[in-house]
Amino acid sequence: MAVVAVDRQQGRAGRKGMRHGQHHLQSLAFLVPGAILLLAIVVWPTIATVRYSFYNGTATKAVGLSNYKSLFSTADTLIAFRNNVIWVLVFPFIVTVIGLVFAVLSERIRWSTAFKTVIFLPIVFSVTASSLVFTQIFQLDPHVGVLNAIVQTVDDWFSPPGAYPLSAGQSAASLATSGVVVAPHGALESSKTVSAGGTVKMGLTGISADTLTVLGARPAKVPTPSAGTVTGLVWRDFSISNPSNISAVYPDENGFADLHLALVRSDGSTVATTTTDAFGGFRFADVGPGNFRVQINASNFKPSFSGTFWLGPQSLTPTGNLSQTAEALLSIPLIDISMILAYLWIWAGFTMVVVAAGLAALDREALEAAHVDGATEWQTFRRVTIPMLAPVLTVVLVTMVINVLKIFDIVVNLGIDASQPGGQASTLASDVYYLGFGGGVHTGLASALAVILFVLVVPAMLFNLKRISGK
Amino acid sequence: MSHVRASLSASRRHKLFSVAAFTGLLGLAVSMVPTSASTASPALGHIGGSISLWAEWTSTEQQDFEAVLAPFEAETGVTINYSGKGSNMDTAIDAAVAGGAPPQVALVPDPGTVLALAKKGAIQPLAPVLGSEASNYGAAWNKLVTYNGKLYGVWFKGANKNTIWYNPAEFALAGIKKTPTTWQQLLTDAATLKRAGVTPFSLCTDIGWPVADLWQNVYLKTAGATNYDALAAHTIPWTGPTVTTAFNTLAELIGQPSYLLGGTKGALANNYPVCVDKVFPKPGTMPQAAMVIEADFIVSEIVGNSSGYTAGTAGAGGKKCTASPAGTPCYDFFPFPAPAADQKNSSAIQGSGDVAMLLKSTAAAKALIKYLGSAEAGEIWAHLGGFASPNKLVPLSSYPDPVTQADASELQHATSFVFSLDDLQGSWEPSLWQDMLNFVKNPTAKNIASIQKTMQAQATAALGH
Repeated sequence: MAVVAVDRQQGRAGRKGMRHGQHHLQSLAFLVPGAILLLAIVVWPTIATVRYSFYNGTATKAVGLSNYKSLFSTADTLIAFRNNVIWVLVFPFIVTVIGLVFAVLSERIRWSTAFKTVIFLPIVFSVTASSLVFTQIFQLDPHVGVLNAIVQTVDDWFSPPGAYPLSAGQSAASLATSGVVVAPHGALESSKTVSAGGTVKMGLTGISADTLTVLGARPAKVPTPSAGTVTGLVWRDFSISNPSNISAVYPDENGFADLHLALVRSDGSTVATTTTDAFGGFRFADVGPGNFRVQINASNFKPSFSGTFWLGPQSLTPTGNLSQTAEALLSIPLIDISMILAYLWIWAGFTMVVVAAGLAALDREALEAAHVDGATEWQTFRRVTIPMLAPVLTVVLVTMVINVLKIFDIVVNLGIDASQPGGQASTLASDVYYLGFGGGVHTGLASALAVILFVLVVPAMLFNLKRISGK
Repeated sequence: MSHVRASLSASRRHKLFSVAAFTGLLGLAVSMVPTSASTASPALGHIGGSISLWAEWTSTEQQDFEAVLAPFEAETGVTINYSGKGSNMDTAIDAAVAGGAPPQVALVPDPGTVLALAKKGAIQPLAPVLGSEASNYGAAWNKLVTYNGKLYGVWFKGANKNTIWYNPAEFALAGIKKTPTTWQQLLTDAATLKRAGVTPFSLCTDIGWPVADLWQNVYLKTAGATNYDALAAHTIPWTGPTVTTAFNTLAELIGQPSYLLGGTKGALANNYPVCVDKVFPKPGTMPQAAMVIEADFIVSEIVGNSSGYTAGTAGAGGKKCTASPAGTPCYDFFPFPAPAADQKNSSAIQGSGDVAMLLKSTAAAKALIKYLGSAEAGEIWAHLGGFASPNKLVPLSSYPDPVTQADASELQHATSFVFSLDDLQGSWEPSLWQDMLNFVKNPTAKNIASIQKTMQAQATAALGH
């Protein structure tokens, strides 16, 4: 942009100069400070970067094209390139549409200035601050991350967690300690069969003492057997005083309270259900003849939703059997989408304001004519408003394309580890930074990548320049 | 070398910050403790003049270091112009030597810098200066700064990565009375903790450096210091059997998702220092795991979370340690255990340290080097806390608590001492961290083989051999 401005100034100055020779020198004198600045901070660094891209890491030896070769021979560059493509394909379009929708809607509501102010506010914050906010929103732990807290609430609403939820990575089978086996369909059941008048003891471990205490557990006690009844105990078979001894019931071991149990026949059919008391004891009365097993429902141990790793490396597309190169090119990591969401929040206000300015300048007569001719709101929007807004929308879109081609700040701030070269969130601009100033300082590689990025941005820039100068 | 140095910063950033905070907190507590040991400086006599001195320490650490220097200045009449360079110390000293205006004495956090400068002839051999004081350090320490048979550095401050920190109250919940001394016992205790419903480990992963530190501990304990140094220099390949053994050993722990807080998924989202807070939480929350495997610099994070944390397993005022940080919470560590079959490596230690070197041989500079190598200088900072000296003559009684004493004792008795291998890898260090995270994600034999191949290729490309 700066280049254009100066070119046009020069042009104007030139024409004036021809008409008024005495002003020629004066104009030049006015131009010199700007030109020097431009040379020093734009033109010279650009030339130097191109030159460095043909030198080694410390810029001491010319190495020809080897920097470019090594960039194109690693998956790191492919991953960064893929992420830039994802950004360019997804972000500009969505942010333009959101801006358009907000702009159109804000014309029809009361308090539209307040609405616009709120939507516009994020662009005023530094991206680093916004990233910190979103780092918290995306946290894995539902106690910290709002997004996972919402998902957890909804998830728990549809399928509530059990009283004794398993911790991450823990299986129900690992709880079975004494007198308990894993049934063929995965539930835990008594290892021995029992008939009326009999008693079973089922020891479980892997659940913390605190969890039991909170649920009102008391020291484990085997209920007294009685005729016609199956009695038993489910208890926490872990004694602090005897940590390695299992199957004996120690005084410092508590019963599992409120555990849902079922009495099943060998064919799997349920005879009766019950829950344990505070001592871990249970009784199935009037069970009739036959041999049974006591089953502990899997729902007792259902873990709560543990959160989605929104900033994690997992891919939204299956990448199972792909080669490393294909995987680098084809996977769409969730972190990209999460970062795009955060970036939408930041930029939606900007596009809204630009589109709203375009809307305000629209020819109202055309809109009224459409209404008079009987067009519906949607038809007017689709056939009249959008075509008339097209030039503004294009500028917004192209500006956003350039914006995300060099996407850097949010990637580094929100991606942190994943933005390192080869990381699932890395982009060309973040790679330039890390190669040049991060871990291993390599001026050559960083410059070569910067040149590639420059070449990629040029077409979009030329397009915008042409539009501006065409007006 | 420059890229090697820059790569240090990422992991060191945390450490510097934490150590500074630690020192500040302990400083407050310790100022009330009566100083029993003598802090008189060695007989140096009046010298006069001034010296320029550079080290990495800034803020609170700088104040502590200046407290160390004060008796020297008083005794000798030498004015010390100290300049704290932060994490840029290595780069700064390189630039100063190249520019021809180096300080007279400098402390660097990297023995590689000492060897490189010795090779250039930019620093002076210390044997004539130190005399018998050189023997105050274990052979393992002096070996690190010996070039062509001559000693070029005197160690002043050490840091220990050979530590596993645990919450004693959580161990009590599982009835564990003795800390493990072998890798196998560690795994058994982890299983016991799990049976008691306590998650054994909060595994720090961050951007990979904590996993690299952990893996390096396992490698040092299984393969020994000689192999460790060879792998660091890449004279043995990453595809070799010792590397496979280390990965397989660590997989015995990492491969048990239920041993890791949050399972594998949760472990991969466990940043430093949040991973420490899960074992040593702030008041208002309870610990979620029993152990965290990190270097001694995490003490700053622990005591920063609540000033109630007491070093050791006894608890404050003779009360039992509680899990609740609102009660009488405690912290302690045990040395990273070697497998039963590799107990010969149990005193091999991974860590880091600051080493002083002499750039200009003036009377005042030589006296300062001698002073830094003396027990008296180390004792002053030991009293202030947040400091462990590799100097055998610094009495353990000068440290403020039993945990720091045990930490310092480990450093002094190290049979071999190695620096972080990842920090010596130059440009591929971030890739190494990624590889470590990849291992945590999928610690199967097949993936280990593929990771080893990748690492070998990355090392070859970055180091050129």
